[in-house]
Amino acid sequence: MSCTSLLIVCFIDDCGDHVIVINSADIAISEEEWKKRVYFHHTGYPGGATWTLAWELHSKDPTLILKKAVYNSMDGNLQRRYTMERLHIFSGENVPVNLLKNVSNQIRQIRPVPKRLDHYMEEEIKKFPKLIDYPKDYILR
Amino acid sequence: MSVLRISRFNGALKHVLGESRAFSLCPRLQLKQLEEAQEGKTLVISAKIIPSEREPYVLKKDHSSACPVCASGLDIKHTDVLILSQFVRTDGCMLPRRITGLCNKQQKRMSILVAMAHKAGLMPNLNPSYSKKDPKRRYQWKKFNKYFDESTIKVK
Repeated sequence: MSCTSLLIVCFIDDCGDHVIVINSADIAISEEEWKKRVYFHHTGYPGGATWTLAWELHSKDPTLILKKAVYNSMDGNLQRRYTMERLHIFSGENVPVNLLKNVSNQIRQIRPVPKRLDHYMEEEIKKFPKLIDYPKDYILR
Repeated sequence: MSVLRISRFNGALKHVLGESRAFSLCPRLQLKQLEEAQEGKTLVISAKIIPSEREPYVLKKDHSSACPVCASGLDIKHTDVLILSQFVRTDGCMLPRRITGLCNKQQKRMSILVAMAHKAGLMPNLNPSYSKKDPKRRYQWKKFNKYFDESTIKVK
């Protein structure tokens, strides 16, 4: 007769910070990934399997790609679903006011957002040090 | 004097007005040879050589035979649009090697970086007239943001 101890999983000590992510619609992936990465979904009914491409999923719901990436990077234990509840992703700048009131810190961006050429001032572009000059007989088009 | 010529390639009639010369009457576009049309009672057309706007800002090299990019020793990324736009024409095409004066490797590297910058939508004003200026107006996956890895560029 072996005596087995019953392990009751309870989440009274489930603690962690809430994280708010904004502008998830502007997420950047390599071009090949946009075209070829597929997300699988099954409704549960026969013939209900769908493979959706990354760009199609992003145009339908811009928060899902990031949500799935975070979910799949975690360990597959029972705590995963509860931890995901603490992540709040928004596709734009609009965040509910009651969430913003509790924000205490901002995490630094891993990769800085590149600046477009038309967002630079004309003066800046003109005064920037040039590597080459046009040859004397060149006709500017 | 108009000359009607039957084009060899498609047999269509081509209306050719003598020789075609590339000159424009707008002073801002041409830097090297400016054609001015001044009307009093006489029309005066003259050509002037105007010094390039870039001259005061060009970096000086220690050895004149070195390629400018190699001599500068910079690690140029596809997001450095201010540097990349110097090697690009107004419609977005790369300048040829005889104009840029870069060495083989750097010319190839620059053209790949320029292609990356265009695809990432970082140079929307350097576009041909028929293209969509705003990256958001593109089709399917092309409207979404992309990032590129410069270490994938292999030029030996």
